[in-house]
Amino acid sequence: MRSLLTPGKLVLRLAAGLAVLAAVCAACAMVGSEHVCLSEALKGPGQAGGVNPDYEILVHIRLPRVALAAVVGAALACSGVVFQALLRNPLADPYILGISSGAGLGAMLAVIAGFNWTFLGRSPVGGFAFAGAMGTVWLVWWLGRLAGRGQMTGLLLAGVVVNAFLSAIILFLTSVARSEIVYSTIFWLMGNMTEGDFRVIWVAAGFVLAGIGVLYLLAGGLNALSFGEDDARSVGIEPARTRLVAFMAASAVTAVAVSLSGLIGFVGLVVPHSVRLVLGSDHRQLLPLSAVAGAAFLVGADTIARVVVAPAQLPVGVITAIVGGPLFLVLLVRSCRGAGGLR
Amino acid sequence: MRGIIEVDGLSFGYRKGEPVLAGLTFSVGKGSFTAVVGPNGAGKSTLLSLLCGSLRLQGGAVRIDGRAVGDYTAQTLAGKVAVVRQETGAVHGFSVAQTVMMARTVHFGALGFESAADRQAVHKALAETDTQAFADRPLASLSGGERQRVYIARAMAQETPILLLDEPTSSLDLRHQVGMLDLLKAGQRDRGLTVVAATHDLNLAGRYGDEVLMLGGPAGYEHGAAETVLTQENVRRFFGVEVAAGLVEGRRVLVAVGRFGR
Repeated sequence: MRSLLTPGKLVLRLAAGLAVLAAVCAACAMVGSEHVCLSEALKGPGQAGGVNPDYEILVHIRLPRVALAAVVGAALACSGVVFQALLRNPLADPYILGISSGAGLGAMLAVIAGFNWTFLGRSPVGGFAFAGAMGTVWLVWWLGRLAGRGQMTGLLLAGVVVNAFLSAIILFLTSVARSEIVYSTIFWLMGNMTEGDFRVIWVAAGFVLAGIGVLYLLAGGLNALSFGEDDARSVGIEPARTRLVAFMAASAVTAVAVSLSGLIGFVGLVVPHSVRLVLGSDHRQLLPLSAVAGAAFLVGADTIARVVVAPAQLPVGVITAIVGGPLFLVLLVRSCRGAGGLR
Repeated sequence: MRGIIEVDGLSFGYRKGEPVLAGLTFSVGKGSFTAVVGPNGAGKSTLLSLLCGSLRLQGGAVRIDGRAVGDYTAQTLAGKVAVVRQETGAVHGFSVAQTVMMARTVHFGALGFESAADRQAVHKALAETDTQAFADRPLASLSGGERQRVYIARAMAQETPILLLDEPTSSLDLRHQVGMLDLLKAGQRDRGLTVVAATHDLNLAGRYGDEVLMLGGPAGYEHGAAETVLTQENVRRFFGVEVAAGLVEGRRVLVAVGRFGR
């Protein structure tokens, strides 16, 4: 019975993961197109009249960006885990139920309408994206229920169709809109990490952590639901309730990530599967460690995106796919060879 | 006498006008072993799904321990009834021990971890079903028969007074078939376990079942002591097959007689 997870094992692995994450964040904060001298930066903001450039770059440019990437990476990886378990489909990712196209349409409408007002000092694009994402998930959930109780295939198909429908509307708007609108929307859709306001990042981090906390409380139920609805019920898990709470929490967490940074593909697919291949599918371990791994992965990918063609920047989604794809394949092949099949 | 499972006028169909079960009424005594037999599509699996609340009742009533099955929450029903289904899926990423431990989910502490008692129950179930040798292997790497034993272990680890099994021995070799039925029988004798098992093997049904429920779809059903239900005439009526009956070393057996079989 060595394969059973004990609290000791979990704490140890989580601590190791957090240490790696901290090291990655520290290293990535020091890397960039401008050299930052740590000892200079630690002297604090410059005296009256002068500015300390090292401090300014580290605290006001690098650290917010690293923190944002960590929050978004954790959110996407975690909701990827949940969607894969609930839909019992290894290809599920956080965007599968229409969050991507819903958020994209919301953002595009905000840009086209030319909203130039601000709410609490923020552009409305993120808010519209959030509303679009949650509205679409709600629509897909409602359509899925029409297909019948507990029909995960119905939900999946509803998500695919709604995604395709909204993407068509986005394409339509793209083809009739002015080019600068198209450019700014596309830039947003590809994922960008430009939020510089630490307060916003703190609020988002709190929200995402709360979501991960709720999902962790459902971990036993997610384990049982991985075996199917009937099995879950016969070991005492009410499938409908667990599923509803998990869907809502995962969707909200994803929508927060999307409204902050646009669409970043691959994190929600590659990170959960990689963690699963190494440590197994027990969600009590899979959820927190995927969050940590997702955070570290996206911080690293974003750092590559901003230094590789510096001073220009690549969309981070390009890097997540280029780095994540081969990494995942290596793990997949190793696991298939090692354990005589997928674990 | 009131049974631990009481079925009263149960009717169910997947399509309108095509009932699978119609007007089924029987009672399962506490600590008894009921074998459910019948041809394909006669509703054996459907009946078990209705008894454990997986399917919603359409007509009639099912009472478990005096209470309507629909009045239980999933959690309280899981304390009364454990189920071994016909399809025993291979879910990736779970070991055998983790799968069996899932039976204890409702007992986990606030942080979602098992207690020493939970580990004890799992350990015992693994030993009883002869699966402890591959406790740490991935579920997906097992053969069909090994996996079936794991799911039986999971049901045993749930430590419920009632056990429902849908063809629990269909993939097992001879030794494990007999071993598993002996295990169920020992649970019945030592702990007062109530067993309801669907099976295709009429002889095993007759030797292990105290009572037999023979389902025949539109032809109705028979319920009663094994020797009164498992007759040549009932098998002809429900299965449409001629059987030879006789005594082999003092045990009554039924042998199907086909057109060309010797």
